[in-house]
Amino acid sequence: MYKYIIRRILIFIPMLLALTIIVFALAQAAPGDPFTGQILDPNIDPEVYEMRREELGLNDPIPVQYFNWLTSILSGDLGQSIYYNGRSVLDLISQRFPNTMYLGLFALAITLTISIPIGIYSARKPYSALDYGATGFGFLGLAIPNFFFGLIAIYVFSINFGWFPSQGTITSNNLTGITALIDRLHHLVLPGITLGLAGTATYMRYMRSEVLDVLGSDYIRTAKAKGMSSNSVLYKHTLRNALIPIVTLMGFEFGALVSGAVITEQVFNFPGLGTLFLQSVMNQDYPVIMSMCLLFGVFILVGNLLADIFYCIVDPRIRYD
Amino acid sequence: MKKFLLMLLLLLSFSVVLVACGDDADDTTNDAEPTGDEGEAEEPASGDPVEGGSITGAMHSAPTGLFNPIFYTETYENNILSITHESLVSQKNDLEFIPSLASDWVTNEDQTTITFTLEEGVTWHDGEPFTADDVVYTYSALADPDYIAAGGVRTVYVENLLGYEDYSSGETDEFEGVTADDDYTVTFHFAEPNVNPLYYSSFPIIPEHVFADIPVADIPSHTASLDPGEVIGTGPFAFTDMVEREQYNLTRYEDYWQGTPYLEEITWRIVDQSVMTGLLETGEIDFIADPEGVAAADYETVSGFGNVTIIEQPDFGYQIMGFKLHHRTSSDVEDGVIDPDNWEENEKISDPLVRQAIAQAINRPGFVEGLLYGRGDVINSPIAPQFWAYTDEVDQNEYDPAAAEALLDEAGYVDVTDDGFREDPNGEEWILNLDYPVGNELRERSAPIIAENLEEIGIQVNLRQPKEFTAYAEELENDNTDWDLYLIGWSLSSSDPDPSSLWGTRSAYNYSRWNNPESDELMQDALSAPDAFEQDYRADVYAEWQQLYAEDLPAVILYAQNKLYAHNDRFHGVDPLPYRFTNNTHLWWVSE
Repeated sequence: MYKYIIRRILIFIPMLLALTIIVFALAQAAPGDPFTGQILDPNIDPEVYEMRREELGLNDPIPVQYFNWLTSILSGDLGQSIYYNGRSVLDLISQRFPNTMYLGLFALAITLTISIPIGIYSARKPYSALDYGATGFGFLGLAIPNFFFGLIAIYVFSINFGWFPSQGTITSNNLTGITALIDRLHHLVLPGITLGLAGTATYMRYMRSEVLDVLGSDYIRTAKAKGMSSNSVLYKHTLRNALIPIVTLMGFEFGALVSGAVITEQVFNFPGLGTLFLQSVMNQDYPVIMSMCLLFGVFILVGNLLADIFYCIVDPRIRYD
Repeated sequence: MKKFLLMLLLLLSFSVVLVACGDDADDTTNDAEPTGDEGEAEEPASGDPVEGGSITGAMHSAPTGLFNPIFYTETYENNILSITHESLVSQKNDLEFIPSLASDWVTNEDQTTITFTLEEGVTWHDGEPFTADDVVYTYSALADPDYIAAGGVRTVYVENLLGYEDYSSGETDEFEGVTADDDYTVTFHFAEPNVNPLYYSSFPIIPEHVFADIPVADIPSHTASLDPGEVIGTGPFAFTDMVEREQYNLTRYEDYWQGTPYLEEITWRIVDQSVMTGLLETGEIDFIADPEGVAAADYETVSGFGNVTIIEQPDFGYQIMGFKLHHRTSSDVEDGVIDPDNWEENEKISDPLVRQAIAQAINRPGFVEGLLYGRGDVINSPIAPQFWAYTDEVDQNEYDPAAAEALLDEAGYVDVTDDGFREDPNGEEWILNLDYPVGNELRERSAPIIAENLEEIGIQVNLRQPKEFTAYAEELENDNTDWDLYLIGWSLSSSDPDPSSLWGTRSAYNYSRWNNPESDELMQDALSAPDAFEQDYRADVYAEWQQLYAEDLPAVILYAQNKLYAHNDRFHGVDPLPYRFTNNTHLWWVSE
């Protein structure tokens, strides 16, 4: 098991290296550089930008730029953002990271609390009114674009009823203790639901089909024949086996969690990593793009590794050596 | 990456929906002109200013976080800095310079120096007195050898000052450009007679006592440029708190030299554009101002709110369709050289008659009505209409397809092959390429209409796929291509009408590569001492230049958009400048 984990982690290194090369090449292949778009203020002498380019090494050959970036990463320096006036990339990312994390976890919690019970119920009573209802509801959630759902939620619950704040993550810095926590949760409700409902359908459908599948298998028949109560069959034998695909999904989710939700973040002005990434791409802010890709890569790989490890826990038949 | 593309796609579909919504609203626009005069529409309804209270403004993008006038680059920072910091002089509604931190000034005979008498009793937010040393320090920092490397872009303010070259190259430690005569007198020395010295002395002042010991290279990353409470200015409000990317709080400075401000607090909140007007209606935000203001498409909705006043005024800027009159050679592009002698003429549009015909074929009033919902104007001169230098008495190139066709016939561009499109005078195929960027929705929508308008008079147009803005800007600049027509928008300086940075032959921004010696000469004349010390003289020269522009037509000015500010009626004392909403903020107050 440990050997397996170590081996997996060692494989990460060439994978991440390949990832950075590809991202760097793609970022460089895009026309222009961080200053191209800015060159349109007649009050600023374009010469200034040329000097900045020279200063930042943007005129160096691409392999040289890549190598410089790599060496600074290896020495633990993520570099400085160009768009954000030389602020450290680490600073930018760590500032947004908690927001993205809260939102992602909150949304995931909503997704799971809604989808798993409904999924199980649908499987136990397939083709019932609730099964159809839940499926319909789930797919509606999947089909409605986030921004649209978000805007509707804002108009109804924030502007009309005034129940929830619509923008930002907190009301002010002055709150402390429990009020601050409640305030934060209060701000999380609308974006959390918007993001959470969108994921419901997938989990629900997986859960439903997996439970249905397991319920039809031989060992469940055996358990029933032994005279176990149906609840006990469900919770002791079925659920554990049905969770495997959910764990896989959550492994992916772990990566998606940090990459953020651009649209939802935008509509609710919830400053997270998603908008940071989008903005960096728009402004060709190479140091930020590169560091974030690296971060996403790490998270996705780690997420998948965790999923693999969890398999062993939920399914004792799976063993790595 | 796939996820990212998906998100982009979603974003795109988002904007499509918005566009669609906009179209619906179009049907209900009425042509009657509702209020919306400049600035003065604001007459406090309820008596005398009241002390206390706070207001909240909205902007839809967050500042990047660099709150230092000498280094910030985004307009969002300016919403905050224009309240916290002040300059020696400011401008009033007719753009004339008026005293601010300087109470008075005199220039010498040939306008190579200007000496300011500073207000006494002005203090920084930390209580230190404001003196001439602060002014000297601010300008020395702009001229510092490390300034550009540290990310500074405002060298325009110091390049004309005496000794700039020597100081910025590090040859001397003594900057002769700005000197303190005593604590409250400061003199600017220009290398040559200066036509508009007040413009160059209008830069916001930063505190010497805070920054003097910090190397200029480190200023952008120093807490005094970043953190609320440490950003120090002389303005009526101090930047005291923020939730980064969400809200920025300004608290009044009790000892403000023009008197304690009425309001206790001004808060800027970052609000997504799609919910901004909704929050304005509920009163959660009190005003929407720079940089975008209220979208023209939302005008009717917002004016129907009942508790909101809209202030409409022309913006400093316009959208153009430029003609690539010349292309640079590949080797010049490679070397970054702008040398008119090497330029290659673009014969497809070299005849001014053709350009005039194109201008007359484009339904520009249609753009103002259809795209801007009437919230804008057709202008024919590339100088901001707010300036004394602007004249409307130039060739109007009014929309007249018949006249346009006649012009083309006259120029020899007729349809000889009977395919419905005109050929050039040699009977060769004549196709004009039209390139445009994405990013500005109105501009994007105008491109196909232009193509249609031109095809109506028989010009074959190759409407290219719109390009992402950075890619577009690069190709626009590196113009060794086959471009003929291009779309771009310009924002203009509100300090001086001199158009040479956009239209001078050797200017990098002269993307038309317009080479007209007469134009260069006129622009030069308008800045030449001593005649140009007289504003009337400059106005005459610029009038002549504008007529030349309208005849030679390096670009068609499509439209100039109006800026729409909106504020809650409980908010009084609003006194926007032609170029900025925040002005005299110490006189802002709220009723209730």
